[in-house]
Amino acid sequence: MLDFLRGVALLVGFNMAGVGVHRLGVPLPSGVLGLLFLFLALSLGVVKLDWVEGAAMLLLRHMVLLFVPLTVGLIAVWSVVQHQALALTASLVVSFVAVLLVTGLLGKAMLRERFEDEPGEVKQ
Amino acid sequence: MSALAFLMRNPVTAIVLTIAAYAVALALHRRWRWVPPLVAACIPLMALLVVAHVPFAEYNRGGALLSWWLGPATVGLAVPMFRHGRALRSSLGRLALMVLAGSVVGMASAWLTASLLGAPHAVAMAAVPKSVTTPIAVEVSRELGGVPEITIALVLLAGILGASFGVPILRLAGVRDDRAIGVAIGASSHGVGTASLVRRSEMQASVSSWAMAASGVFTSLLAALLKLLMH
Repeated sequence: MLDFLRGVALLVGFNMAGVGVHRLGVPLPSGVLGLLFLFLALSLGVVKLDWVEGAAMLLLRHMVLLFVPLTVGLIAVWSVVQHQALALTASLVVSFVAVLLVTGLLGKAMLRERFEDEPGEVKQ
Repeated sequence: MSALAFLMRNPVTAIVLTIAAYAVALALHRRWRWVPPLVAACIPLMALLVVAHVPFAEYNRGGALLSWWLGPATVGLAVPMFRHGRALRSSLGRLALMVLAGSVVGMASAWLTASLLGAPHAVAMAAVPKSVTTPIAVEVSRELGGVPEITIALVLLAGILGASFGVPILRLAGVRDDRAIGVAIGASSHGVGTASLVRRSEMQASVSSWAMAASGVFTSLLAALLKLLMH
């Protein structure tokens, strides 16, 4: 339990550091700054993976709960969504397929030829 | 003011109701896998607010306290990124390049399509970060002047598209490498798509969770750059 609370405290602390640096004018979202700081701390060994693992996995597993209030907020912007339904749907589908194919086909081209023998490659 | 609206003035009421709705939604999702937990949790809450005439702002006094935890949850993404990054070290540079290309194409095509179809600035900007995980997408959308609620709906739908059609579309395009599939799903449909790979292959799922975290970071970097250019 104490270990878990230490993890929560670290995540909140790194988030606060991100908020602080964001306030100083760095144009990245504060959560992303906190992510980068924690990643750096893990890479340097300043923070051990098992200090934050439990708390991070719990928050990530139940992240859906954290989106609920914002999603409920759709009722406040519902008329905008209705008016822009076509633009939103088209933008969603076009952009989804574009990202999927660009990354997937690049992966096919860049990974297959040069890394035939790497472990993890599935031989077809 | 209705009695419920009065109760909702206390943030604890909204928090308890939201957690209860989430617990019920999770139970429904365990029973019928096709029920998306987010949708199942939101519908009764939305209905309650509409029927009892509770303004969203009243509900959100408690709701905002839950949303606040998206910050620490984003920080927590460093854990899968670090864990899987270590295992993928040998091809990390190439994977990063693919995710970067995917992020550029995703942001540009979402904005362009929405704008061409007449969407106003706040709506087109809300579509820009729709491929990345919700907490990052929301912040990026706000930074760019988009409507965050619309972004959330699009992020959710992109996840569902990825989980349902991602692998079949990649197969049609002849993509069979496990890492390429993982990168494409993680970059296009974040956590929801990643979760759908867990049962298929450990390699696909682990590349996918790395790609999802990386595309969140790249998208926010690109958005920051875009914001500088817009000024």
